[in-house]
Amino acid sequence: MNIHNYEKIWLMAAILLIVGFISTVTYGATAVGVDMISDDGGTVNASALDEDPRFSEPRVEQVGENEYEAYVIAQQFIFRPDPITVPANSTVTFFVTSPDVIHGFEIVGTNANAMVVPGQVTELTVEFNEPGEYGLLCHEYCGAGHHTMEGSVVVQPQDEFTQGGDE
Amino acid sequence: MGEEQVVREIGHDEYDPKGTLALIGVYFVILLVMWVFMYFVEFLGNELTVV
Amino acid sequence: MMSEALETGTPSFMDRFPQEAAVVRASLISSFIALFLGAVFGLIQALHRTDVFRFLDSQYYYTVLTAHGVLMVVSFTIFFLVGVFTWATVRSLDRPLVDIRYTWAWYGLMAIGTLMAVVAILGGFIPSTDISADVLFTFYAPMQAHPLFYGGLAIFIIGTWLAGADYFRAWYAWKQEHPDERIPLQTFMVLTTMLMWYIATIGVAIAVVVFLLPWSLGLLDSVNPLLTRTLFWFWGHPVVYFWLMPAYLLWYTVLPSISGGRLFSDPLARVVFVLFLLLSTPVGIHHQYVDPGIAEGFKMIAMTNTMFLLLPSLLTAFTVVASMEHGARQRGGTGLFGWLRALPWRNPAFTGMALAGLMFAAGGFSGMVNAGMNINYLVHNTIWVPGHFHLTVGTAVALTFMAATYWLWPQVTNKPIFSRPIALAQVVLWFVGMALMSNAMHVMGLFGVPRRTAEPQYQGFDFVASFGSITELRMQLALGGTLLFLSTILFVSNIALSTGSPRMSGLGKPLSEPLSPAADSPKVLDNLTLWFGIAMVLVVLAYILPLASIITDSGIVDPGVRPVPMLVDAANGLGPISAVTDAASRVVAAVVGVVP
Repeated sequence: MNIHNYEKIWLMAAILLIVGFISTVTYGATAVGVDMISDDGGTVNASALDEDPRFSEPRVEQVGENEYEAYVIAQQFIFRPDPITVPANSTVTFFVTSPDVIHGFEIVGTNANAMVVPGQVTELTVEFNEPGEYGLLCHEYCGAGHHTMEGSVVVQPQDEFTQGGDE
Repeated sequence: MGEEQVVREIGHDEYDPKGTLALIGVYFVILLVMWVFMYFVEFLGNELTVV
Repeated sequence: MMSEALETGTPSFMDRFPQEAAVVRASLISSFIALFLGAVFGLIQALHRTDVFRFLDSQYYYTVLTAHGVLMVVSFTIFFLVGVFTWATVRSLDRPLVDIRYTWAWYGLMAIGTLMAVVAILGGFIPSTDISADVLFTFYAPMQAHPLFYGGLAIFIIGTWLAGADYFRAWYAWKQEHPDERIPLQTFMVLTTMLMWYIATIGVAIAVVVFLLPWSLGLLDSVNPLLTRTLFWFWGHPVVYFWLMPAYLLWYTVLPSISGGRLFSDPLARVVFVLFLLLSTPVGIHHQYVDPGIAEGFKMIAMTNTMFLLLPSLLTAFTVVASMEHGARQRGGTGLFGWLRALPWRNPAFTGMALAGLMFAAGGFSGMVNAGMNINYLVHNTIWVPGHFHLTVGTAVALTFMAATYWLWPQVTNKPIFSRPIALAQVVLWFVGMALMSNAMHVMGLFGVPRRTAEPQYQGFDFVASFGSITELRMQLALGGTLLFLSTILFVSNIALSTGSPRMSGLGKPLSEPLSPAADSPKVLDNLTLWFGIAMVLVVLAYILPLASIITDSGIVDPGVRPVPMLVDAANGLGPISAVTDAASRVVAAVVGVVP
């Protein structure tokens, strides 16, 4: 096969680029430690969330020093609890599911961004530093009122933080 | 139409696409710089680290 | 304007294959009707979500969006594809199709399927019927559409399968007459693309025929939303290449000729299409990087495949630009970059395709970001993503199709294009409109503005722009969308007016031979059975474990998940028909107010 030298140069550059991209992502996954959402959250009966130990009461609870778990339900067209209140300087693992259709879970303007699928539990761990407030929105079309589906995540100073559901 | 305005025939062996190599080299550099910016500044520099 | 063409007196495709030309015309016209309707819906969306002009209640935004998506990426693209593929197969084999009645049968199936789906979607505008399909192009269960929608989709896809079989039949007949010859390049591209399509559609066919259609008919109580979603994306990524391959075919085989040159390398073109056949399908999970229920390892495999899928596109960039440069130098161009000036920029077919290629280079970059597994957290489901695919399918594909039409249409109708200056303005206008719209979408996506949302303006928070302002970006999006709509109108009316041009003969345009011919490449490249086999193995490797794990964890169907029919709430807001009349009267009032 008759390949021009310039084309060989470009072929090598292109492969280099591809390997470079994969290496960068691997660096992010290992050295920086950015975890992907996976099947760790398990499954759930979407029509019986009120009987499920994790989701019968949507809430934030403390599970260790500066470690919290948030159980969140995304449904047409609200998030529960709302607001989701977490303490500053903490690591929060969100468990999110849906009783109806597929939703999105995006803490606005941040990297906390996930899909929520009925029957599945999305598990996502996020580090919160400064106190403040973030918007929360559904970014997957979920019905006629999709554009009204919003909530908020309030990061409270650690000494003000009170634990429990906010419903 | 443009097709008919050939002023010289250039065969395979006498043709080196050096302009193409230069253009695509520029593209390569843009891709590299933009990727580094998107990954390390926009993404890793963004709020809320997912761990 | 077309005088040189007249003087060359080459018989056109229509002169040589009148029956096939009629099929190509019908396919292209179907495609342009879809493009026009899709553009109307696109304009409504661009003005609605930016809050520039809203006349429909926001719940109908999703009906509009479903119609825009389906008409543009299923009807417009695929009808154009079968038109171009029919032309390319017949032209390059230089023989008619085996049985034209069969050809019309698959065209008929595609048309019926489209009509069924469109009726189901437009039913969403009429609250008094229970027909609706406000489920968007992706129709994620358990959102449920009317059975007509799924049925129409299935029939449409069967039509495309039969179209593929038509090309294979023609090739088989040709092979009997030319036993020792290499497959002509255009036919090779058509056949490898159709093989890729057969593999890809396995996913959507199972999702629709086994699950969603029986479920919408009430024969099945529930479905597993993660399973049908994964099957959707099994098809949903390779379909992107199904849109793109006819554009590549045109870049490789037509663009060099209209640049005044020859394709740099036939063998590399074949390698590129084989790579697409192998790698297009085992990548779909990259649309599900932030989905639950799929292990990280499978996402990593999908990313690796996706990244290597960049290779054929990067190779294409070189080969196609080198072919253009060859044309420019044959036309007298010199210098490292000076040859660019020698290209036929006044030819709308050339300029449209070249600008489409340029935008594809930019879209390629945002695609690389989308492909990067963890960086997906930054952009997933933000408006960055439609910003990306409006550069790829919305420009690399759509603008190439429109530009190629200016070249192809006279050859299948024997009538010159109504106006070449309008055609030139049209392609430039598309480029400008898309540059504005897509730039605004990419930037807003980085600030977290979501896609697929009627009113991305929220009560509890504002989006924070780290540069520019959200209002400014919204205006940019609306302006870009409006220019794109105007460009579509120019295109469609130019083609419609061309039907009034006088009929003439000799409008044929021969294509130049590649500089490096097929004979330079190993014969194994033409072994389609081998490549199909390897492609199937790769797909099985990429998908068998994730699908098995989804089914093990949550079942073939998930009884806990109930169907959620997407019906509009008639009591809420103005009905769409009165909304349209109301909007029209407001526009008229505004115009009358301005023009005394």
